[in-house]
Amino acid sequence: MRHYLDLVRISAKQHKEQNRMTRLCIILAVFLVTVIFGMADMEMRSQMIQAVKTDGSWHAAFAVDDEQGALLSARPEVEIISRYGTLNYHLQDGYQIEGVETGICGFDGELQEMIPDAEISEGSFPETAAEIVINENIRDRLGAKIGDQIGMTMPQGEVRQYRITGIAKNTSLMAEMDAFCVFVNADGFLALHPEETGAAQEILYFVKFRWFCDIQKTIAEISSQFGLAPKQVRQNVKVLMLMFQSGDPYMMEFYLVAGILSVLVVIAGIFMITASMNSNIARRTEFFGMMRCLGATRKQVVRFVRREALHWCRAAIPAGAALGIVVIWILCGMLRFLSPGLFEGLPVFGISIPGAAAGIAVGFVTVLLAARSPARRAAKVSPLAAVSGNAGTVHSARRAARTRLFKVDTALGVHHASGSKKNFFLVTGSFAFSIILFLAFSTAIDFMHHAVTPLRPSAPDISVTKADGAPNQIPYKLEEELADVPGVKRILGRSYAYLTIPADGRTVAAISYSEQQFRISGDLLLEGSLEEAVEGEGVLSVFTEENRMEYGGSVPVSVGEDVVEIPVTGMLSSVPDVPDNTTDTLICSEELFRRLTGADGFTVLDIQLQEDVTDAQVQGIRHRIEQACGGNVVFSDKRIRNQEVKGAYYSLAVFLYGFLAVIALIAFFNIINCIAMSVAARMREYGAMRAIGMSVRQLIRMVLGETVTYTVFGVAIGCLAGLPLNWYLFHSIVTSRWGEVWRIPGRELAVIVGIMLGSVCLAVMGPAGQIRRMTVVDTINRD
Amino acid sequence: MEILKVENLCKVYGTGEARVQALKQVSFSMERGEFGAVVGVSGSGKSTLLNCIGGLDEANAGKVFLGGKDLFAMGEEERTIFRRQNIGFIFQSFHLIPELDVEQNIAFPLLLDYKKPDQERVDELLEVLGLTDRRKHLPGQLSGGQQQRVAIGRALITHPALVLADEPTGNLDSKSSQDVMDLLCRASRHYQQTVLMITHNMNLTASADRVFRVTDGKLCELGGAA
Repeated sequence: MRHYLDLVRISAKQHKEQNRMTRLCIILAVFLVTVIFGMADMEMRSQMIQAVKTDGSWHAAFAVDDEQGALLSARPEVEIISRYGTLNYHLQDGYQIEGVETGICGFDGELQEMIPDAEISEGSFPETAAEIVINENIRDRLGAKIGDQIGMTMPQGEVRQYRITGIAKNTSLMAEMDAFCVFVNADGFLALHPEETGAAQEILYFVKFRWFCDIQKTIAEISSQFGLAPKQVRQNVKVLMLMFQSGDPYMMEFYLVAGILSVLVVIAGIFMITASMNSNIARRTEFFGMMRCLGATRKQVVRFVRREALHWCRAAIPAGAALGIVVIWILCGMLRFLSPGLFEGLPVFGISIPGAAAGIAVGFVTVLLAARSPARRAAKVSPLAAVSGNAGTVHSARRAARTRLFKVDTALGVHHASGSKKNFFLVTGSFAFSIILFLAFSTAIDFMHHAVTPLRPSAPDISVTKADGAPNQIPYKLEEELADVPGVKRILGRSYAYLTIPADGRTVAAISYSEQQFRISGDLLLEGSLEEAVEGEGVLSVFTEENRMEYGGSVPVSVGEDVVEIPVTGMLSSVPDVPDNTTDTLICSEELFRRLTGADGFTVLDIQLQEDVTDAQVQGIRHRIEQACGGNVVFSDKRIRNQEVKGAYYSLAVFLYGFLAVIALIAFFNIINCIAMSVAARMREYGAMRAIGMSVRQLIRMVLGETVTYTVFGVAIGCLAGLPLNWYLFHSIVTSRWGEVWRIPGRELAVIVGIMLGSVCLAVMGPAGQIRRMTVVDTINRD
Repeated sequence: MEILKVENLCKVYGTGEARVQALKQVSFSMERGEFGAVVGVSGSGKSTLLNCIGGLDEANAGKVFLGGKDLFAMGEEERTIFRRQNIGFIFQSFHLIPELDVEQNIAFPLLLDYKKPDQERVDELLEVLGLTDRRKHLPGQLSGGQQQRVAIGRALITHPALVLADEPTGNLDSKSSQDVMDLLCRASRHYQQTVLMITHNMNLTASADRVFRVTDGKLCELGGAA
């Protein structure tokens, strides 16, 4: 030992047991912050993967001429640049292959590095103007293959021949629109002479800038250099947002929320560590008094406490960060497991640098901040305290326990909790804080269920409509016929019609539902019941802000010469495809729909497919439909789109549920920690009580009394503050948009209160074991 | 009437080189109402003896009978309840419950039995202890002497057969020490309670009926008032 501070190391060895709790607090604080930041980082990465998959990794696109394009590509900030143009985007300009309207994309090969949809799955990119890449729709429907010649008819009737050099995958849009699409190179695209056809053509220069480039500043410079109007410049908003290169308010709010949560977690961490260190120091008041007695100055004592705190950090901070990183790995693994195709880019064993850095920084800062107050307290210990041998052994109580109200053990437990107002406020406040956070954040889950709804039970994989838009022309019998086709899971047919209300001439949209569809929509029922509507004795209205078809009322509609009053027996919050947002919508049974409209077919046939359906089976389904409907159908394949939205949902869900789990963890650890601290601080007193004659069972009842007091008040305050907050948030982000009425979040409350009660049991179990193992003599004689 | 009987009590701490035999075959007995004092140098085994007699610590060998009942034959819970009903403890550092006032602290062993304290008995003790006007005070608001008087009241409230006092005056000034000794004598003489007290102060043994000396774990009786 060369320096008085070397005593820290020696003391740590001697007080391993007592310091364990403090170390655990530091580990928890670092862990929680690492997880919060790591999760935010992971969410950003998964959003980035999604954004690049759907929108591409380009940053900006400029509508400039060739000369400006050359100047643009010479700029040092530009990493990749490619020309890009489209023709016949709306499939109505007359560019056709085998009589089918065909969209044309022309670009340079470099675009494939920026837009995954431009990638060629087989073959190669066209090198000459006479070469072409076709999409899977063309390959499958025309049987074309690489090396074949294919003719494309121009709007003016000329047929140009191209050699197929490759096949591109269907994009979600192409699959949904059932469209033909071809890629040509930029020269080939310019050779199409669109000005002769009157078709819109615009060549855009897609740019990906280098890292560390201020993109907004560069875009502004380019715009001013070339005199570009705002509409001549496009930005890949989502990608730029995720790179912090956009001023978009959504992303800023997202980080604000994460920031606020992190601050709250940091505060919780500071409380945990401060409380732990306070109690650690309180137990060793005599030791610090002795140091002062032996000549240590106040400054030296402060330095000692601070060094001790940093000594704990040495092992605790890396452990907390490592634990946080492991949890992030588990979350990444979950995302990859839930949606392997979409999140394959997410590293399973990646380390979130921002997460770990935040955790470590917060750990150090928290410990140093938390060490300030105990350090000062320790420094204030009088040298006399050591001499009297009585310092720190008698806690000063302000009022006596109420032994008339409760049995003495329970009364003492309640008093231990409520004796010190400051401590009571801090502990119950922190318990309540967890409930408030949980209830507030759970509204984000409700929001997600409404805003991102790809997994609605009714979501179709394939949607069939008549190509000419004619309503109710798909034969009813097709529903039955397709039900047995391999690969089909469920068929949901709907008919649409407008009905007139004779009183004011207003129209309402009517949609027919089968019983199956009614049942699937059960979750969306805001008021009333499904039964009457299923039986054809009533209809369901669909919520709109200015709802004119209220539940309990009736709607008079014209049916031929007559007027029929239909009772509104329920209300749905929303339906997937309302004809338009201004017209009131009612949902009725197929039988009632036929009676009201005389219709004889479906407008839309939604098909849900088995998970293991093959492409050949899908083609088989398509064939059967075309046979039944005479080929005049749009076969909208929504599987890719569903997959994309599902990915977004999973990513958001893992993130939001992850946050809830972290909040629950905070509650759990907080309770365990608070009780363990309290028991550790009073162990000597417990020893004295045992000596006087208190049994182990009574001591445990006392600890339970303390824990239950904190929990009851914590839950009560948490509910009193959390429920109004939950109502407010729910009302502003859910009710106002989707009409769902706020209900007491019983499930969420049950979850968090259940977690708290479980924590209470665990919190008591630890000290109970400690009390059972305690030897009375050693405890009362302990320093 | 024999109240306390100690037979061949042995206590060993540690193992190997660190092995210390704190008590070696200690045997003695005490009659009802006797006042015994135990003296000995620091580390001689006085406190260990008291803790073993009181059932706070378990002996490695030997027996302790209190009122004819073998203390170490009882289970933990039974022994705890027996202790609080039959043995009163007084410690050097008082060990009062800081959250209970004077009256509650005195009645604490009765409260642990979930019994309603006999108010007359509490009042009588408060009177004897000179704490009537301090009955609602918390330990933090009392002087050391007053705290020790509360601890004596707590030890006497259940009419225990045996009162064990471990250096009860160790933290007190001479006036308070004398008060405490007077109270212990009164317990022994007036209430016919057997008192066994550890002390360093040979002057205090003057009030004792019997004086024992512990040397290296062995007990010998010095006779009356050393």
